[in-house]
Amino acid sequence: MAADVDGVNGGSAGDQAPITARHPGESVRRWSNGSRVPGWDDAADLSKPPAGVPDAATTPVPADLRAEIEDYMARYPDHRSAAIPALRAAQERHGWCSPEAIDQVAAVMRLTPGYLVAVASFYDMLELQPVGRRSVYVCTNISCSLCGADELYARLEEELGEDPGVNLRHFECLGACDIAPMASVDGVYVGPIEPGEIAELAEQIRTGAAPLPAKQLLDRKSADPGAAPR
Amino acid sequence: MTGAILFADIDEPGLATLDVYRRRGGYGPRLLKALQMPREALVEELKASGLRGRGGAGFSMGTKASFMPKGQIDKYLVCNADESEPGTFKDRELMQKSPHMLLEGMIIAAYAAGANRSFIYIRGEYAQQAVIVERAIAEAKAAGLIGERILGTDFSLELWLHRGAGAYICGEETGLLDSLEGKRGNPRLKPPFPANQGLYQGPTLINHVETLATIPHIVEMGAQEYAAIGVQNSTGTKLVSISGHVRRPGNYEIELGTPARELIYGLAGGPGEGRTVKLWFPGGSSSPVLTGDDLDVSYDFDSLAKAGTMLGSGAIIVADDTTSVVDVALKTAQFYKHESCGKCTPCREGTNWTVKMLERVKSGEATPMDLDIMASVCENIIGHCLCVLGDAMAMPVGSMIKKFRGEFEAYIEQARAANPWGSGHAPVEALEAQGALA
Amino acid sequence: MPRPEPSFITFSIDGREVQAPENTMLVDAAKLGDVEIPVFCYEPKIGAPVGACRMCLVEIEGIPKLQTGCSTPVKDGMVVHTQTDRVKAAQESVVEFLLINHPLDCPVCDKGGECPLQDISFGWGGGRSRFIEPKRHFQKPLNLSPLIAIDRERCIMCYRCVRFSQEVAEDYQLVLHDRGAATYVGTFDGHPYVAPFSGNIIELCPVGALTSQPYRFRARPWDIEGAGSVCTLCPAQCNVTFTVRDERVLRVLARENGEVDDGWLCDKGRFAYQAVHVDDRIVRPLLRDGGELRPVSWERALDEAAAALRRAGARTGALAGGETTNEEGFLLQRLLREALGSEHLDSAGGLPPAALHALARPDLQATVADLEWAHTVLVLGTEPVDDMPIVDLRIRKGVRRHRANLAVATPRPSSLDPNASLSVRYAPGGEAAFVAALAAALFGGELDGPARDAGADPDGVRALAELLRTGGEDVVVLYGAQLLGAGPSVAPALLKIAGALNVAGRAGAGLLAVPGGTNGRGLAEAGVLPGMGPGYAPVAGGGVARGTEEIAAGLAAGELTALYLLHCDPVRALPRRARWQRALDKATTVVAHAQFLTEGLAEHATVVFPAESYAEKEGTLTHPDGRLQRLRQAIGRQGDAAPEWWVLAELAKRLGHDLGILTGPMASAQLFAAVPFYAGLSLDAIGPQGVRWADAGDGAGAAAFPAPAELPAGGEPPAAAAPNGALRLGTFRSIWAAPEVERSPALKFLHPRQRVEMAPDDAARLGLAHGDKVAVGADGASVHAVVALRNASPAGSVFLEDGIPADAANLLDGPLVDIRKA
Ligand SMILES: Cc1cc2nc3c(=O)[nH]c(=O)nc-3n(C[C@H](O)[C@H](O)[C@H](O)COP(=O)(O)O)c2cc1C
Ligand code: SF4
Ligand code: FES
Repeated sequence: MAADVDGVNGGSAGDQAPITARHPGESVRRWSNGSRVPGWDDAADLSKPPAGVPDAATTPVPADLRAEIEDYMARYPDHRSAAIPALRAAQERHGWCSPEAIDQVAAVMRLTPGYLVAVASFYDMLELQPVGRRSVYVCTNISCSLCGADELYARLEEELGEDPGVNLRHFECLGACDIAPMASVDGVYVGPIEPGEIAELAEQIRTGAAPLPAKQLLDRKSADPGAAPR
Repeated sequence: MTGAILFADIDEPGLATLDVYRRRGGYGPRLLKALQMPREALVEELKASGLRGRGGAGFSMGTKASFMPKGQIDKYLVCNADESEPGTFKDRELMQKSPHMLLEGMIIAAYAAGANRSFIYIRGEYAQQAVIVERAIAEAKAAGLIGERILGTDFSLELWLHRGAGAYICGEETGLLDSLEGKRGNPRLKPPFPANQGLYQGPTLINHVETLATIPHIVEMGAQEYAAIGVQNSTGTKLVSISGHVRRPGNYEIELGTPARELIYGLAGGPGEGRTVKLWFPGGSSSPVLTGDDLDVSYDFDSLAKAGTMLGSGAIIVADDTTSVVDVALKTAQFYKHESCGKCTPCREGTNWTVKMLERVKSGEATPMDLDIMASVCENIIGHCLCVLGDAMAMPVGSMIKKFRGEFEAYIEQARAANPWGSGHAPVEALEAQGALA
Repeated sequence: MPRPEPSFITFSIDGREVQAPENTMLVDAAKLGDVEIPVFCYEPKIGAPVGACRMCLVEIEGIPKLQTGCSTPVKDGMVVHTQTDRVKAAQESVVEFLLINHPLDCPVCDKGGECPLQDISFGWGGGRSRFIEPKRHFQKPLNLSPLIAIDRERCIMCYRCVRFSQEVAEDYQLVLHDRGAATYVGTFDGHPYVAPFSGNIIELCPVGALTSQPYRFRARPWDIEGAGSVCTLCPAQCNVTFTVRDERVLRVLARENGEVDDGWLCDKGRFAYQAVHVDDRIVRPLLRDGGELRPVSWERALDEAAAALRRAGARTGALAGGETTNEEGFLLQRLLREALGSEHLDSAGGLPPAALHALARPDLQATVADLEWAHTVLVLGTEPVDDMPIVDLRIRKGVRRHRANLAVATPRPSSLDPNASLSVRYAPGGEAAFVAALAAALFGGELDGPARDAGADPDGVRALAELLRTGGEDVVVLYGAQLLGAGPSVAPALLKIAGALNVAGRAGAGLLAVPGGTNGRGLAEAGVLPGMGPGYAPVAGGGVARGTEEIAAGLAAGELTALYLLHCDPVRALPRRARWQRALDKATTVVAHAQFLTEGLAEHATVVFPAESYAEKEGTLTHPDGRLQRLRQAIGRQGDAAPEWWVLAELAKRLGHDLGILTGPMASAQLFAAVPFYAGLSLDAIGPQGVRWADAGDGAGAAAFPAPAELPAGGEPPAAAAPNGALRLGTFRSIWAAPEVERSPALKFLHPRQRVEMAPDDAARLGLAHGDKVAVGADGASVHAVVALRNASPAGSVFLEDGIPADAANLLDGPLVDIRKA
């Protein structure tokens, strides 16, 4: 049985009910807002050795990843500042911040993997469980939900629910309330998404095509009448 | 209303490129003028402009810059481009369409602060904007506008863009610093303030995107002229993000002191046909809500404070009369619960508890007494936390309970009637019907 | 960085005027006015306050918001209130928030009765909760490591434990996961939190979330007593409190002494108490009879031992191990010198006595606390975390909090390298040449030759000299005393280095030796050195005085016939195991005091006296920085064990010599009278925190120190062996290499297995991969080991572990070894 984390089994929890395994074989438990259900029930595995800084002699790192991380490290007076960019780089290669990915970053940055997992778990965009390669964030914060974001999310979930290649998540305000309800598809903001466009968007997500080309934020003019080019 | 300043050319095609930006007056004489002014004079000019921080706290930009210690130590300028306050999306448009304006403002601010290293901390979700700003930085570096001895002066500046990875608390300035140092983005105790001990323990000036982008214009116009815009204590123009139940959501540059009605109805077109404004957040989701009766308030720092709320990030979220205040309260509380860093007790536990209570309201398991407890929990959060994220939940939620208590009570009654057993005590037959006992 | 001088200010708290040192945090300053401000997250030992729990909110006049007392430095004229309605409401609300998810399973919680959360809820809480939702429930307890259980339900997120791991031990294994209300304490990917200092988090936890696996459910606070003493398991001599129930030690807690341990313990010190109560402890006298050791009565054992010693007479040698107290050592040398007329005794593993004397000069002496405040610290030829663990934390603290420059000069990569401004490597066997090179560099002499002899980079030596010269006046050199064994030139060179750095007589600067054994310094001062009596007095009477090396040789050659071993098994503890085995084989009589039958004793001892464990002992120890500390008996002796002073006095009596000792304190008094610079000390004066003899009697101790003789220059330092295709052998002794660790059930999992650390290039050349099983051999002997590649390992050398029962490095004599796949 799943742990009795707040609302995981709590029937009344409404919006807080967890999303049960959406993809066959996938065991990621998440709150409906997208956060991981934490590992409060996890014990240490006493057969493992303690996790110190991985020795470069025994932790191979792909050359391009090493180069990218070292480039980031050089930008800051304290090389630890490169933790987030380095984790993102590793995530791009591994699909998620897997223990192996974290070990590699740790070996290059000469930090413990514990340090890095603490950082990674703080941030919503760094994934500590295997997920689909395409990130689809649907903003369900106040403005978007006033404009129908919860329905948008539910419909997208119906459309994409079975696709193991997609990481569909609720997200907090994405800073695009002017195009509510909206979604970010691998960083491309689209909206306002009409109910009639959801199937099309889902198809584009599945196939990797550009999402709703006519609704992309970058092409949008300012709403401010004073902002028109003179 | 005066003409636009920040948004004057915002839709000019190609404004994000160095060429067009320069053609529009960017990096022109005003930059050289600023870099040739004595530091103190520049800081005085910024003070005199009355420019108040646009990121939320509304602290005088010039005064903050004047706190930076003198002397040959590593000093930093950090631009807060985390823009995560729900309802706020103006920095996004500014950075995406006119990144050089921000860079120019940063060069001048860094000079004023005596900082030779600077970072822009942009929220990780702004992937497209990050690319655009990166490109602008590369252009500016190639043109010698960022780097060694800018424009032949002896001022040098390093600048890097740093992308976050999704955490609202990294907009709080000290949380941002920890995050930029490669740690979990937990806020730090203040004092020491960043101007004394900030990034890597060095004196650090942190300002918001819009604050910084305004600086070149102040230098160009002169403090006097800038200060003449707006009202007393709230000078200049402000970018306002208007969203929710309005016909023309978007960013508008307004003169501070414009009545709110003009913003919500005049610019954004008001709620849909036949609908009225039920409640609105005047400065992002952290500001206590106002109602349809408060639309004539003047949109400036002091007037909003007098109305018991705040200008915050300048994000107006409008909810019309079809909206259930319970839903808005729950969304708000859930957001802060999710974004609480967890470091301090009242915020971590208080936001979590409030969400649980609001969920009970929704599921029909609450009583009006719970409203008193909720109000008291909010009271117990306010002023007791390490940073103000906790307050940022307690103030709006507390204000909703206070202003819409009747509606909450009615909701509780109805929800109880609809779910008389509560979820934990449903009779066996009901559970069987739901298949729950299979 | 010199220690700041406090200046006092006056502030007002709850209407009382109180004097306090300026800038102390309000919660500490308040105590000076008998006002208690409750805290959870505040623990100054860990580092700067974090202000996380918000329990300590107080009202300060002139500041509108309540402030955290833990992070507000007190200023002159500050007016503070802790009893107003606002403060009370805040405190009650924080307690209410903290108890929301706390399980209140106090009746079955180890912490119950000694729990800050209980106390603060009682003292400052509102006494009710309005939280009616179900609390969080999780599986509990869970393993965090074999030593520590974690109960996440009980955690209140003060994150002291995580801060300890990150900011004190700097092992960065224990971290926070996730954020907000979902935050929890854990490790990376389910790895256990195993590190030399992990156990401190149990004591730091203000609730029952982290509990000791060995102590779990063994007692309630009202069943137990605390007994203060000193840990004798390494030279750090940390102050401890034994938790005692029914004459058993159930737990060891830190007893904070800022001059010694800063309030921390290593896990060996915290958990190895279990070895006190194991079945294989020797609790009755044993006599070899028909080839086997059999229990006998004390009378019989004493008679047999006395008879054998009488036969051997002046042909008796004696070795004292590091756990020997000053008094025991003092009586041992009386027994040998006065009753047997033998001058063959040693406690220093053969280090030159004159050098020990010369380097013990009080004006050269740095203290443990100096490590924290020095401008520059040089760690030379020692790995603190293994050799004197608590000092590792002190050095890290100095670097982190006071920005001390740290330099490390060792053959093997050091765990302090990441904190060091500079790390210099030299080859195993190149110790003497390296010290010579450094001395030359500081005096501007020719250093390239000696540096190359040492297998060190001359530029590295130059940079090191530069750092020591320019990093600030207060320089502390922490050196491994074993260096003195590398040749007669080492001590003069160290003195030269001290001279160049101007540390003599300078407060806050100096030399600090890490002796090979716990009480190495005290035993030298008590006179357990060949040819040197108590107080480094030269022993008259002519003839040869044999030290460790010569005792072994003398036994093997039949010139000595008996060996007296006080807490020492040379086969386990000393280099060149085979040589010792031969020596013991030849000895007619081997008399030993021991708690355990380690390999050498099991095979060779003739009489074994059951020794007291450190929890059963009384007496004194001398810390490496000259601080005398007191051991106090915490429990009754196990079985028939008897105090060592009594055994030594009884033997002397049977040999016709009355030592005049009827009680333990009488032995102490004799010692204090015999060592001139201990004059004026008494057990009372030493007290619970110890006294440095140099400070005793207003410097009378220092004044009484006998001037050492000028050391001869010592000639050319030997060079490290050239590998010529083979590999140099370096050895080290891990913190876990101790008989107590092998025998403590909870620590067993840590006791080390042999692995050979080597550079990836060397391994590649030999076709070896990480994890390969190999035989490391020299001169026909070999040990089994597993290859451990380390990127930072210096090419040309390999490192093996010593002090372990099987496959120990002392089976090989070096200096070169070959490695073959096994
Ligand atoms: C919880 C919290 C979140 C914040 N988020 C942001 C943000 O996303 N962007 C921002 O510019 N300022 C944010 N702030 C305000 C900053 O802490 C800081 O006041 C601001 O960056 C200062 O810049 P300014 O003086 O130019 O306004 C936040 C503050 C708090 C307490
Ligand atoms: S108020 Fe919330 S976000 Fe701020 S420090 Fe406390 S827990 Fe973290
Ligand atoms: S003790 Fe001050 S906040 Fe925890």
